[in-house]
Amino acid sequence: MKRVIHILLIEDDTLDQMEVKRTLERRNILHRLTILTNGEEAIQMIENTDEDIEKPDIILLDLNMPKRNGFEVLASLRANDRWKDVKVFVLTTSDEVSDKHAAQLHGISGFITKPLKLESPSSLDAFNLMIDLMNI
Amino acid sequence: MKIAHIILVSFFSILILFSITTFINYQQYGLVNENAERLERSTLIVRNSNRFQRNFLNMVSGLRGYLLTNETSFLQTYDSAVVENKHILSELTTLVPEGSDQKIILDDIRELQKYWVSEFATPLLEAKRNADISEKENQAFHKLYREKLLNKLEKDVQASLQRKFSDFTNYEYGHRISDRENLAHTVQNTKSISFYLTTISVILGTGIAIFIAHYISTRIVRMVKMANEIAGGNYAVYMQEKGNSELSQLTRALNNMASILGSHIAVLKRQKDEVDQFAHIVSHDLKAPLRGIDNVVTWIEEDHSFDLPPKVNEYLKVIKGRIVRAENLLKGILMYARAGREAPDREVVDVNEVLAEIRGDLGTYTGIALEIQKPMPTLFTQRVPLVQVFSNLIVNAFKYHDKKNGAVTISWREEGEYYHFFVSDNGPGIPELYHQKIFAIFQTLQERDTLESVGVGLAIVKKILDDRQLFVSVTSEPGKGATFSFTWPKHEEHETSNPHPAYRR
Repeated sequence: MKRVIHILLIEDDTLDQMEVKRTLERRNILHRLTILTNGEEAIQMIENTDEDIEKPDIILLDLNMPKRNGFEVLASLRANDRWKDVKVFVLTTSDEVSDKHAAQLHGISGFITKPLKLESPSSLDAFNLMIDLMNI
Repeated sequence: MKIAHIILVSFFSILILFSITTFINYQQYGLVNENAERLERSTLIVRNSNRFQRNFLNMVSGLRGYLLTNETSFLQTYDSAVVENKHILSELTTLVPEGSDQKIILDDIRELQKYWVSEFATPLLEAKRNADISEKENQAFHKLYREKLLNKLEKDVQASLQRKFSDFTNYEYGHRISDRENLAHTVQNTKSISFYLTTISVILGTGIAIFIAHYISTRIVRMVKMANEIAGGNYAVYMQEKGNSELSQLTRALNNMASILGSHIAVLKRQKDEVDQFAHIVSHDLKAPLRGIDNVVTWIEEDHSFDLPPKVNEYLKVIKGRIVRAENLLKGILMYARAGREAPDREVVDVNEVLAEIRGDLGTYTGIALEIQKPMPTLFTQRVPLVQVFSNLIVNAFKYHDKKNGAVTISWREEGEYYHFFVSDNGPGIPELYHQKIFAIFQTLQERDTLESVGVGLAIVKKILDDRQLFVSVTSEPGKGATFSFTWPKHEEHETSNPHPAYRR
């Protein structure tokens, strides 16, 4: 019996949001998606002590965002006792090599390379891994 | 002080010193001349005085002979001596300078002679002439004769005259000696002065010449060194110079030039970096929206292609094609901006290996042979740019080949410190009109739709060779093929260490 996965997507580009949504739908993954469009909103959510705020199973994080970027969100996550164990996947484009190295230092679970083309297996490796992790 | 002034001042000082030397020598010449004249005159005076003395003796002996023998020949001797002495006296008067001691002596001599003639000779001769007339007159003569000639006075007059003559000649001789001594002294003085002045002139002249030569030479050497530094790309050179000479001004102008050149080059470098960075950012940032469009088109194709009319699907394909082209153009800009930006270390590069590598990457082109002149040389250089030049030229030759069975030939020859490489094909060739144009970025000679090409390959080749001040050229016969050739240094120290003499921008 598959459970519904709660995914928090932190991504400013609407096209990228659509892309994630579409991929989840096409792969028939039972999910609930919360979308935040910038790092500041994400940090506010993480730092809010209100117990009513539901912690997601997984976070998909874009690095290049206005106001507060992905690295600041990662730092905030790791500094927070309640959130520090949440699994984080970073959304990147293939040529942001230095960003990938920097993100790795924050102990993330994997990268998802944009664009998420169904026919391109490499870009989906991490996505598959993510789903496998959720299905255990 | 200006060099021209130093040269002028020293030239004039030496000129003045030499003028003084010449003037002193000229004066000396006058003195010697004057002395010679004086010597000549003195000789004449002595000779005349001797003649006068002799004549006077003749007068005395002539007078006595006549008075004793009554022979008229004695009288002739006496007369001629009187006449001659008159000439000699007038000559001596002109020779002896007026107001001198000699003049006084001469006047005394004249007076003494006159006195002797008037007091003794004339009365005796008169008496003698009358003696034949009567006995009384004869006795008168004898009386006068005894009175005058046997008298001591006549002897004293003679002796006094002799003494005067002796004084006269002695004075001349004495003067001659002192003149000679004076002259010798002046000659010695002049010699010393001439010697010292000439020595000073020579030392001064040599010193100034050495100073000027050293001054000019050191500055020129320093400036040549500086110019070489500037030519070598070091614009931070500066030469301390405080003087006011022409060379100091030139040095300061050179300093100024170096600093202006340095700042301009720095601005140019910064602008070039900015352009490269700009190209990098533009191509990178343009990729994101392009990818977005590509995504949406992909979604439409994947999710909705069955719902759409065939025409729309066709349009979607066109959009996809254009996206690929735009992506390739962006890639091209990136590649062009990156070409030559990395500066890898120099290493030993075997062109045989390089070409084998490129041959391996050419798998997709069939029917065209790659012929390589064996063996290709080995160079010491940066590997990546050389590979890029070869690769771009060879790929172009294959890509644009229009024959089913064609060939691309790589050859080379040695040219001094360079290798000259040739990439020839027997493809369509390039009309001469386009030989310059093809090296510009985004220039392609075929419609973009017939063959997807971005037009950066040759631009990158040109950029790499331009950065090294090397040259690339193309020769072609349309329909028969084209040959691209370029030079590359055998041993490269740094990027611009080996500009080719034939390099023209």
